[in-house]
Amino acid sequence: MIQRVYRHPLVVRITHWVVALALLVLTMSGLQIFNAHPELYASDASTFAHPVLSIYSDTDAAGRTVGKLQIGSMVFTTTGLLGWTGDGMGGEEQRAFPPWATIPAYRDLADGRRWHIFFAWVLGLCALLYAAWAFKLIPSKTEIREVPEALKEHAVPWKIKATAHYNPLQKIAYFSVVFGLVPLAIISGLALSPSFDGWAPWVPWLLGGRQFARIWHFVAMFGIIGFFIGHFMMVVLTGFWNNLRAMITGWFAVEEAS
Amino acid sequence: MNLRRGRFLTLLAGTALTGCSRIATSLNDNPRFHAVLGAPERLDLALLGADHPLAREYRDKDISPDFRHNGFDPPSDPAYLQWSRNNWHGYRLFVSGLVDKPTSFSVDDLRTKFPSIAQITRHDCVEGWSVIGKWRGVRVRDVLAAAQPRAGAKYVVFYCLDDDGSGTKYYESLDMRQAAHPQALLAYDLNDQPVPLKNGAPIRLKVPTQLGYKSAKHVNRIELVAALGGDNGSGGYWEDRGYEWFAGI
Repeated sequence: MIQRVYRHPLVVRITHWVVALALLVLTMSGLQIFNAHPELYASDASTFAHPVLSIYSDTDAAGRTVGKLQIGSMVFTTTGLLGWTGDGMGGEEQRAFPPWATIPAYRDLADGRRWHIFFAWVLGLCALLYAAWAFKLIPSKTEIREVPEALKEHAVPWKIKATAHYNPLQKIAYFSVVFGLVPLAIISGLALSPSFDGWAPWVPWLLGGRQFARIWHFVAMFGIIGFFIGHFMMVVLTGFWNNLRAMITGWFAVEEAS
Repeated sequence: MNLRRGRFLTLLAGTALTGCSRIATSLNDNPRFHAVLGAPERLDLALLGADHPLAREYRDKDISPDFRHNGFDPPSDPAYLQWSRNNWHGYRLFVSGLVDKPTSFSVDDLRTKFPSIAQITRHDCVEGWSVIGKWRGVRVRDVLAAAQPRAGAKYVVFYCLDDDGSGTKYYESLDMRQAAHPQALLAYDLNDQPVPLKNGAPIRLKVPTQLGYKSAKHVNRIELVAALGGDNGSGGYWEDRGYEWFAGI
């Protein structure tokens, strides 16, 4: 027997879609900003000779220009994807992230910053609105005890069943994004502002310095992208249209054992 | 999930990103939308630019081995080159505009007639990198006070000697409150040596609570004005090219 349940209140549905848009724009405009100096340092000031991550272009033995990604002591050739890519205007150039991943597509630090700061405000205000509701995501003791059982149920991905209420794994996943990754992204982003650092110098200090805060900002972004991939896969596996409808109208269909 | 579906989803993701980038780029090129994107700057200025929080001051051991150079080449006009070879004899820093006593100072005047302030602060470039350096100079507010600003003066414009290679000279501006910040300096020394040519000799504005482009190099003339805009541009070389006037973020 199919039963319809009202699963998502209006405030959650609105903030979900606005936050989704904001995170997408923030990621793509953030990559544009990163392209201006595609290097990360594990310190307060930059140690230019020793980046922990660097994306650059080089010339190979045959004299061709190639893109390179260096992480620690490892170097990968990434031509076309990272380091040496299209320029968004029909040509090629030395460029960390390619035009299809940035806003704007062409190189433009000033406008990348405009998009980023505007949508940082959108995300911040939405996060405040959402946080009031999101305390429901804090997993209870019973739910934490149910984690092993839920893990067993999730071992075979195509047999996962969506239920009227979030299961403990879902709650933990949403909880760690809402109270972990997104706050980390916001705080590490604020630490990059020299004026904010005047107000709260302990924030970049806690993160290991201003350049280290860029690493945290990057880590938070990759964490959020990783969450999105998992989230999207689960939405597809547990009934794409039912899930999509629920996040638009609020109503979710579940099978009831009768 | 089978392979075909995996490849389909990858393709879908790639197409979706390309589409987003295209839509955003065309919105970006729309002047009205572009103006909306710039709206938070006033809020940022009101929140972060209020009051006088001090930039963190560091210790000697934190100083970066090289204070990275960015921006234009040092000025190459004959007068500048001659001053630089003559220990800056002939160079003067002019203060004019809405002041009761227009005046000018040599580098020696600045070194001897005003309290000398040193600060070891971090310089954050808009590109994303940071360096730490020890600056010594005079407070902007002390130099302005010597010229006696009038009540109508609201902004301080710093005109520079360096240009972008096509003849457009660098300039920057602060409002009176930012100019009164105790760490806003007109610096003559970097790391206990006269400011090198590449870092803005002989006098560089240093505003450690804002991004590096605010700290104009090779300052030659300071003008107090009632408003930015018009002949005063958007308040700076980079501001005229889309960067925020409030460079605190």
